Amino acid sequence: MFLEIFRFELRHQFRQPLFWLSAMLFFLLAFGAVTTDVVQLGGAIGNVNRNAPFVIMQTLLIMSILGVFVTTAFVASPILRDFESRTDGLFFSTPMTKFDYLLGRFSGAFVSSIVIFLSIALAIMVGSAMPWLEPERVGPFLLAPYAYGMAVIVIPNVLLMSAMSFSMATLTRSMMGTYGAVVAFFVAYVTAGTLLSDLENESLASLLDPFGAAAFGLATRYWTMAERNAALLPLEGPLLNNRLLWMGVAIAILAFAYFRFSFTASATKRHKKRAKEEVAEKLPTKPTRVAVQPVFTMASSFTQFLHQTRFEVLTMVKGAAFPIILVLGAFNLIGNSLVLDQIFGTPVYPVTHLMIQMIGGSFLLFVIIILTFYAGEIVWRDRGLLMADVHDAVPAPNWVYWGAKLIALFTVVLSVLAVSIVTAIGVQLAKGYTHLELGLYFKGIMLQAGAPFLLIAVLAIFFQVMSNNKYLGFLLMVLFFIAQPVLAALDFNHNLYLYAGAPAAPYSDMNGFGHFVKPVVWFYTYWTFAAGILVVSSHLFWVRGQSTGLGARMSLARHRLSKPVIWALTIAVIGFAGTGSYIFYNTNILNEYLPPDALQERQTRFEKSYKKFEGIPQPRITAVYTEVDIFPEERAVDIRGTYSLRNKTDVAIDSLHVFLNPQVELESISVPGASLELEDAELGYRIYRFTEPMEPGAELELDFTLAIRNPGFRNNGSNTQVVGNGTFLNSAQYFPHIGYSRQPELGDPVERRRRDLPEIQRMASINDESARLDNYISSESDWLDFEAVVSTSADQIALAPGYLVDEHEENGRKYFHYKMDAPILGFWAFLSARWEVRRDKWNDVDIAVYFHPDHDYNIDRMIYAVKRSLDYYTEEFGPYQHRQLRILEFPRYARFAQSFPNTIPFSESFGFITRFDDEDEIDYVFYVTAHEVAHQWWAHQVIGGNMQGSTIMSETMSQYSALMVMEREYGPEKMRRFLEYELNSYLRGRGGELIEELPLLLVENQGYIHYRKGSLVTYALKDYVGEQTLNEAFARYVEAVKFQEPPYTTALEYLDFVREVVPEDRAYIIEDLFETITLYEYEATDATYEPTDDGRFRVLLTVDSKKFRADGEGTETEIPVDDWVDVAVFGERGDDDPPEGKVLFMEKRHVTDAESVFEFIVDEEPHKAGIDPFHKLVDRNPSNNMTNVSVVEDG
Amino acid sequence: MSLVLEIANLAKTYPNGVRALRDVSLTIPTGMFGLLGPNGAGKSTLMRTVATLQEPDEGTITMGGLDVLKEKEEVRKILGYLPQEFGVYPKVTAQAMLNHMAVLKGITGRGDRKDAVEGLLHQTNLWAVRKTKLGTFSGGMRQRFGIAQALLGDPRLIIVDEPTAGLDPEERLRFLNLLSEIGQNIVVILSTHIVEDVSDLCSAMAIISEGQVLLTGTPGDAMGELSGKVWRKVIQKEDLTSHQETYQVISTHLWAGKTVLHVYAESLPDEGFEAVEGDLKDVYFTTLKRADQPVAA
Repeated sequence: MFLEIFRFELRHQFRQPLFWLSAMLFFLLAFGAVTTDVVQLGGAIGNVNRNAPFVIMQTLLIMSILGVFVTTAFVASPILRDFESRTDGLFFSTPMTKFDYLLGRFSGAFVSSIVIFLSIALAIMVGSAMPWLEPERVGPFLLAPYAYGMAVIVIPNVLLMSAMSFSMATLTRSMMGTYGAVVAFFVAYVTAGTLLSDLENESLASLLDPFGAAAFGLATRYWTMAERNAALLPLEGPLLNNRLLWMGVAIAILAFAYFRFSFTASATKRHKKRAKEEVAEKLPTKPTRVAVQPVFTMASSFTQFLHQTRFEVLTMVKGAAFPIILVLGAFNLIGNSLVLDQIFGTPVYPVTHLMIQMIGGSFLLFVIIILTFYAGEIVWRDRGLLMADVHDAVPAPNWVYWGAKLIALFTVVLSVLAVSIVTAIGVQLAKGYTHLELGLYFKGIMLQAGAPFLLIAVLAIFFQVMSNNKYLGFLLMVLFFIAQPVLAALDFNHNLYLYAGAPAAPYSDMNGFGHFVKPVVWFYTYWTFAAGILVVSSHLFWVRGQSTGLGARMSLARHRLSKPVIWALTIAVIGFAGTGSYIFYNTNILNEYLPPDALQERQTRFEKSYKKFEGIPQPRITAVYTEVDIFPEERAVDIRGTYSLRNKTDVAIDSLHVFLNPQVELESISVPGASLELEDAELGYRIYRFTEPMEPGAELELDFTLAIRNPGFRNNGSNTQVVGNGTFLNSAQYFPHIGYSRQPELGDPVERRRRDLPEIQRMASINDESARLDNYISSESDWLDFEAVVSTSADQIALAPGYLVDEHEENGRKYFHYKMDAPILGFWAFLSARWEVRRDKWNDVDIAVYFHPDHDYNIDRMIYAVKRSLDYYTEEFGPYQHRQLRILEFPRYARFAQSFPNTIPFSESFGFITRFDDEDEIDYVFYVTAHEVAHQWWAHQVIGGNMQGSTIMSETMSQYSALMVMEREYGPEKMRRFLEYELNSYLRGRGGELIEELPLLLVENQGYIHYRKGSLVTYALKDYVGEQTLNEAFARYVEAVKFQEPPYTTALEYLDFVREVVPEDRAYIIEDLFETITLYEYEATDATYEPTDDGRFRVLLTVDSKKFRADGEGTETEIPVDDWVDVAVFGERGDDDPPEGKVLFMEKRHVTDAESVFEFIVDEEPHKAGIDPFHKLVDRNPSNNMTNVSVVEDG
Repeated sequence: MSLVLEIANLAKTYPNGVRALRDVSLTIPTGMFGLLGPNGAGKSTLMRTVATLQEPDEGTITMGGLDVLKEKEEVRKILGYLPQEFGVYPKVTAQAMLNHMAVLKGITGRGDRKDAVEGLLHQTNLWAVRKTKLGTFSGGMRQRFGIAQALLGDPRLIIVDEPTAGLDPEERLRFLNLLSEIGQNIVVILSTHIVEDVSDLCSAMAIISEGQVLLTGTPGDAMGELSGKVWRKVIQKEDLTSHQETYQVISTHLWAGKTVLHVYAESLPDEGFEAVEGDLKDVYFTTLKRADQPVAA
């Protein structure tokens, strides 16, 4: 019997078009992910194979999560089908057992879901055999990862979700209820994921994640290219526990449903309550006035519309799903708000625009799902209830019906948004933040969330009406959402054809919504007209009765083209075309619309045409004088400038090459004694030939006039550097460059291969002496003199590096004249905004912070950090070269801080609204400030050649300096927490490497190495050498190389200074830390103690030690252990002790064996013991470094 | 104003090949018109087509100068329709739902609507349960509610499709009583497969089977034609086959364990038969049988 039911179910499922559609959709998605870069699922980046085991597993994992909604439909339907088609009575009265029925149905549905997922595996197999794939990205075919992925990931996940939907279906007996539960589960899942995303929760998170994604992520987060290409995930630890736990949960859920389910329940339920027939009925009915004449006017139609709307809205609001959705929405928001914009786990003030951004972000998927299902529900409700014939034969016009349904759908969207605003305000108040900006909420929600949601609601109805099939309607919505990113990835990214598309409208406290409002309003107006056309089409094709054939619908539609409809359609079409033309005029005529492929084409042409000029002798800039007029209101800048050039080479130069970002208009340029030989305005390349070659040592002055203009608006990528309040533009992007520039080169290795470009040119080798002739900041200048006059609107302050020598107002504009007193590197910037200024002094150095008036939360903290930094750096590394240090806030369009000479632009989102209520938080404002101040030494005094390793002397040393200032301020405890983040970032960064991981010494501007690993390495180095000794070496190095002319210093020179101070028996650390990629694996396996006769404690600690060297792809080789490592014993924890407890013993011991036993005598009772307890070395499993100490029983 | 519904040459074939209507022409006068036919005869297709809910492949329907197939909006203004199967919003009360339907039918004035709704609730005897949720209604109450909504807005054309199917005798009677009160000046089409519905109520009728009209006229005329040609005999069950081979059997039914036979014949067929007055049932079955075996007729 079981088998018969199982087979029946399977056959039924296989006959469903939905089954094949889903299988096909999944197949195509996975196929697309494997064979193209359009769909990104599996993490096949860089040189990870397209069919790497990791990619296969991750693809299956992600699809098994996305597939939840499909699984639900499959598994819930066998049960609901019987209730909906009323065959339950038929089935339940047969002699089959509950077990046969439920398990048979369930197994059939479950197996067919699994078959759908097999289509994904098949798609990867087939996809990786496609001939157009680059052969170097396809690994050998392995069956194991597929089998593993299906068995460990897909089957348990599908089982869990199937069990849940099946149980919900048997218990609620409603599709909406089942979907409601699934959506609820999903939202809870996402929320919990966000809540548990903190570092400290990861093992809990990996256990609780029902799909095993967190466990999978935890196990693979540090995987390198080599591991991704070869390794299968060992089924152990958190992953195994997770799988077992959730399989158990799935079975428990099934068992619960099984016991709750009863064959007879349905019958009693359906007929439970019956209205009692009234007795009075037998009496003769009294005649009443029933023959009321109906009225048919516009006004009566409108009344009908209001009634129907009220009816639809009430039906929706009273539905079981509605309050659930709202509550879930609120929870989702609260969950997300707990980790709002954290950096290093430190929170920010819950400012309104962040709340809005969160609403927009966290609700998108949620609202889409709701709209899709509700649209199907609402369009089909009358037909499902067999009410349609009654309603359809009634003299109410079509628009009364769809209009009411549309409004009901809008009501859902607006309710969700309203609830989220209320929740957001609640969150703000709960966090003690009372600056409530209701206007901003309204504006922000409409710009960032509301409008597209409403437009999508129209589309969802339209799809339901046109397809006249609920599931086809759903599928069309799914296709729509897949199509948007796919089209964009295929370089079709104009918002004129991406439904409900509009440029982003980021908000900044400094600049508000700025110039972003106008394009968004235009685009949404345009799409509203488009929605109007959809609405009219829905009206024309609205199904009444049984007229569902295409021909019948067409002729009906023709019939319905009444005058008002034609008018409405005409208005919508004219509005659509009109606004579309205006947008096109702005995006494609006033501005240049460059889809990604066209831009890449241009980059390719640039490189192919001009790369040959790279490295030819060119004069260098020795001085810059410039006048920059900023017009914030027009977002325009006029630049007049003069470069003093000198031929520093020992050959005569016959031509001058000038590159200028083609987005900047070159109004004039004069190269004395030269004529224009080549002008490529589109690519911004120009060559001037000297009539008389420029002799070595000769000088000339290059004058130029530039204009930055931002007319109208763009499709996307509008200029966020020249804005109404908070302009920040730098010379690299907006000033002319001498000689070839690599700036426009195409970076993406895949696109390069596709376009026949050679592999991207890597950094010069650390041994390349010729590369030392340029510093890595600029190859067109060494140290230069800088002077600038910057003007701006009367209500703003304009800034540039240098000292203010004059300030005046003229013609309603303010002029600021800045002059530098020390030579600077070839990189400068201009800023202008309405700032408040706080000034302070450190010795004779003027400190000033220019900040947005509302953002005074952390200004004093920044000033304090500057002072402490100046203290430390001047003490340890040498004098500060300037008399002034300024921090300038700029809008949150980018998140970074950057050090220019005496001038540090610092993003609004990188510390200005950070909230330090809890003293335990990591003070990253202090850290970032200290890092940037350190650059005044490490970059602006000591600058390396344009080659591998040079960022050690700028970024790594700034990290080290900041760490030391922080440690001095906050103590080593805080540093450990900070370094945990650094370790995590470094190890993750390895996994994201696209080309090759290099040892720190050879770093090629790779952030995860020079910042993250740099922190770990220099901190460990300090531990081995001692802070004082190390700093003395650094000071000697600074003294030796600061402000040096070419040849510039190298990391090898730097390392020589370090090596001098490393004790001979520790010399290996230079190799481990700098010269190789070395990973350690320490584990404390056992620790015991016994009391000694003199009342002390003898501790025996057993430790496993391993050491690996990795190559650039992450392939590891084990090498012998021969290291000095901390071993430690901890006792009971007092108030001032580290979390492990009071340090009873800690010493560096020489570890030489895979297993070593250490013996210590300590004075107090030991609790814990371990090796490298403070994680100074790079160890991927730091948590097993410690173990509890147990007492040895006398025996 | 007296209206006549003219159906001419209506044909409809479904995509699966079923020919639901074949060249159906009917003239339906004011008063109660019974459309009689077995399940699957095409009655509902015809009803829905008249009720503006379906497009025929061919043919026309007019009513007093109104082209029913083209001027749907106008037709709906004078239409009251009770579909064969119809559902209700289970959580809405009868009064609220009727009120809502009244608005949709164009009774937008508050006072008018109140009168109409209350009047109909009384008329359909649902007054006492007007505050009860529709989901708990019995089949009969539901049908009465259905006719109440169909009667809203003083319709000139009322279509009730198989309204008595599934009702118990008492409920059916109540329902038919209700129908009989509907004014005589309007067109009421009652489709049914239950002969008594027609004989009890209708002044005119048509029999339709397999999409074709087999007979039109008044029940009286139809029965008159059979007068003196219907014979009855009570036989044992075993003898049924032989009788069916010998005689033109109109219908059989069981009565106290024995089989009662109605036979069509110009004169007394045999001993053991007795003359009976042909009723509408005999007309119905005779008509259907003839359509089945055109040669034998």
